[in-house]
Amino acid sequence: MDDIVTMKLAFNQKTLPFRTDFVLAGTRCFLTTNSEDVLRLAALWQPTKQSDEPSFEMEILVNSSAGDSCEQTAHFRGLRHIVFAALPHSGLIVFDLLRKRVHAALSPSAARDLVFWNTMLLPITIGVLGTTLGVVPLHCACLDRNGKGLLVAGVSGAGKSTLAAALAQRGFAFLSDDWTYLTRKQSALVAHGLFSPIKLLPDTIRFFPRLREFVPRKSLNGEMAYEMDPQKCLQFAVTDMSRPGHIVFLERTVARGCHLVPCRPEYVRDFFERSAERLPDELADARAMRTSIINCFSACPSWMLRTGESPQRTAEAIEIFLSEAERATA
Amino acid sequence: MQRREFAAYADPLDILRRFAPAPLKAMYRIGSSRAVVQTNDFHLLPALPLDVNFRVPGEQSQEWKLIRDPDTPGPLEAARFLICGPLTVVEMGPACLLALDHERREVVGFIGADVDARTYQEFLVPLLCRLTQEPVPASPLPASANLRERSAHD
Repeated sequence: MDDIVTMKLAFNQKTLPFRTDFVLAGTRCFLTTNSEDVLRLAALWQPTKQSDEPSFEMEILVNSSAGDSCEQTAHFRGLRHIVFAALPHSGLIVFDLLRKRVHAALSPSAARDLVFWNTMLLPITIGVLGTTLGVVPLHCACLDRNGKGLLVAGVSGAGKSTLAAALAQRGFAFLSDDWTYLTRKQSALVAHGLFSPIKLLPDTIRFFPRLREFVPRKSLNGEMAYEMDPQKCLQFAVTDMSRPGHIVFLERTVARGCHLVPCRPEYVRDFFERSAERLPDELADARAMRTSIINCFSACPSWMLRTGESPQRTAEAIEIFLSEAERATA
Repeated sequence: MQRREFAAYADPLDILRRFAPAPLKAMYRIGSSRAVVQTNDFHLLPALPLDVNFRVPGEQSQEWKLIRDPDTPGPLEAARFLICGPLTVVEMGPACLLALDHERREVVGFIGADVDARTYQEFLVPLLCRLTQEPVPASPLPASANLRERSAHD
């Protein structure tokens, strides 16, 4: 075989002299790095005064001699307690799920790229490591209305992001459109978002003509999509935290109309358990914690939402329904 | 390039391929220790002396779990060694992702579809042997490999 060029990257106190901490989906990250760019971006997630969050360690080594191919697609593999994530910009992240440590080798351009942080580094970190910290990643959108979270679940392609955008247009605060991170704090559930961009497919331009001002680009899973800051680009109100109050399971139908049918807790539990990542025996405690949180979550009032209407009409129907439900319980 | 047959594996709830079946298992003697190698590809069993002796009381053994990754084509790329406390990680592009947990005496990794048997046996196996013999490798390069080392700060 040809020569193999090798590069050694040592992660230790000498090579990672800077320290800080930040809060991510209700967990505290103790970060060490050799990059002031990383420190600057980590400061956007300032820690609160509370110190009882579960925590993990993250080491980010920025390596100026790394290549920087943004054409590289993301590649994930894992065995036992180790997970590898090879990312664009020659990024490599290794997760040690037993020791709750993350080691990342990044190029300078990735280290200072807020989009890379918001769409890859932070969501992937909490998505992979979260379960070991009592954070349950749920594949659903979340919006906040009067302090109560509305979680919108459904199979891929059901239109969660589109409905989330339509609800945000009606004044719901946007928390996430794809992954919501659930924690339990003193027996109360909290839904977290990461201020990630909203992702809308090109065909949703018919519902949101403003998308014409933007350009779709290749997203993490390879599909073309508009990925944009919901606050800066679409002027949505945003929040990073809410108390789960209602769950809807979105189903598109050919028939016109919009119908909400109550769901049993067993349906909610089975839906999220069935769609959860399989975890190895090394992470049995994390698996049990996830089941416990999903059980607690399944007690939230939930409905099957069958709609053949536009996202805007569906959002309007949901708003009317929630208002009536709140009046009935008031 | 010779293509090999491995059991196809796809599980939408296991995108990391953690549960890819690895039904082949063999025990080897590497220096003074024993290594149990588990894999899904006969060609990933190292060409090393098999350990046919009973286990010596108190002897520590290593576990290697190496998965042939049929969905990852392409050659080995420039190698990156990440030395992170008890972990040493070797990455040569998507076709080679290896991690050694020195405390747990475990090696786990994925080898791409196009990494041929010769490259694996003459390059990767000596590399793994060398790494697993050293708790914290000072120079994680196999003597037999044809390597050019580049500093991270070139």
